[in-house]
Amino acid sequence: MINITLKVNGEERALSLPATRTLLAALRNDMKLTGSKNACNQGVCGACTVLLDGVPVNACLVLAANVAGREIVTIEGLGEGGKLSPMQQAFVDAGAIQCGFCMSGMIVSATAFLAENPKPSRKEIRQALSGNLCRCSGYVRVIDAVELAAGRSGA
Amino acid sequence: MEFHQPTTLDDALTLLAADPEALPLAGGATLVAMLNAELIEPSALVSLGGICELHTIEATPEGGLRLGAMLSHATLASEARLTGGNAVMRQAAAQIAHPAVRNIGTLGGAVAHGDPSSDLPAALVAADAVIEVAGPSGRRSIAAEGFFEDYLTTALEEGEMVAAVILPPQPESAVGHYEKFARVHGDYATLSVAVVLAMASGKCSHVRIALGAAGATPVRVVAAEARLIGSSLDAGAISEAAALLTAASDPVDDVRGSADYRLMLVPRLLTRALAAAGGAP
Ligand SMILES: Cc1cc2nc3c(=O)[nH]c(=O)nc-3n(C[C@H](O)[C@H](O)[C@H](O)COP(=O)(O)OP(=O)(O)OC[C@H]3O[C@@H](n4cnc5c(N)ncnc54)[C@H](O)[C@@H]3O)c2cc1C
Ligand code: FES
Ligand code: FES
Repeated sequence: MINITLKVNGEERALSLPATRTLLAALRNDMKLTGSKNACNQGVCGACTVLLDGVPVNACLVLAANVAGREIVTIEGLGEGGKLSPMQQAFVDAGAIQCGFCMSGMIVSATAFLAENPKPSRKEIRQALSGNLCRCSGYVRVIDAVELAAGRSGA
Repeated sequence: MEFHQPTTLDDALTLLAADPEALPLAGGATLVAMLNAELIEPSALVSLGGICELHTIEATPEGGLRLGAMLSHATLASEARLTGGNAVMRQAAAQIAHPAVRNIGTLGGAVAHGDPSSDLPAALVAADAVIEVAGPSGRRSIAAEGFFEDYLTTALEEGEMVAAVILPPQPESAVGHYEKFARVHGDYATLSVAVVLAMASGKCSHVRIALGAAGATPVRVVAAEARLIGSSLDAGAISEAAALLTAASDPVDDVRGSADYRLMLVPRLLTRALAAAGGAP
């Protein structure tokens, strides 16, 4: 077992885990933060996307022990004081959510992307979210949602 | 499984030498996926993340660039010094997978893994890069062209690691281009063409071409380049060069395309790549 601390959604968390434990498993099983989803565990679907020091990564490809001391933000950490973040609200308002399984990854990816590129084209949005698969295949409204969030933050 | 986090390359090499079942861990995009699928069971992982030397980019005295093994694909994709002929590396890195994977995967991991359908090997061969290898008995340099030996097999010996990649200075007016053809944005290439091209008064004065996903290693054919040098890159010259490259290719049949389909792509992508690199008539 390895003892580490992680800063997750602003809170220091001390953990004792085996070296093979992924960040995704640590979040979901050790910290009970089940917003990040496990669908493929292979880096292919994006359902596990979280921010590591501000940049999106697939939590299933990262070993928790390898990111000791670093800062993680999950879908649970995007909103403040029980309120949805602007991106979360835009996804709701655009009607982008079907079963919801892919949505935490989509919203985390979109949040990081918009911070970097506040006025994206639809093509840029598609490329930024290309690593996030939606099994319900409702991609059009996802792109609408990111556009809506971009428009609102520009207003 | 043991987990080591050395802070110097020498310590990493000592740990690897002490345990033949240990593996270096770079980004983990491939290694952790294999652990998750229970395809590998290393006795220990030696994380390279804490080794500062592996994260640096420096100009070489010759006028090229030395890229540390732990630079992420995302870092390479936005590296402003990868210009001219060496832009082929920036473009290849920018087309690897998706944003999140590009934030994780590293140059050294991709080089060491030696997957012929991955993007960096062909770009490295086209750029005439040199792989700097560190091992128990010191450092050695291997030309990228000789480094990739077979499917997932490289010139790395037991206990050796990729420390850096050295890009040479490219000819003055050279332009690099990486043409990737994939089923959807972010997939592995069905076929790719990496070129570094220089033109002088309408004639090709320098060209290096390497194909990705065209065989067990990047495919380069000196005679194909010789056919183009001195030409105006007319359709006849390109088609003869493409025929030589096609003859040297031995792609696989898989879900990304049949071998025949891949071979059909060679002339088309070569034409596009040369045009994009400034060889358009
Ligand atoms: C969903 C997905 C899609 C992908 N799509 C593409 C794509 O389109 N194109 C593409 O080119 N690649 C693609 N990749 C591969 C990826 O981008 C990385 O290049 C690859 O995972 C290797 O880099 P890494 O740093 O993650 O290495 P790791 O996974 O950490 O290591 C890979 C192997 O190399 C060894 N190793 C690592 N670093 C060194 C070193 N410095 N010296 C010696 N040995 C070392 C490890 O022990 C391991 O055996 C994809 C990966 C995933 C998960
Ligand atoms: S669960 Fe991590 S990418 Fe699918
Ligand atoms: S909403 Fe169901 S998987 Fe995307």
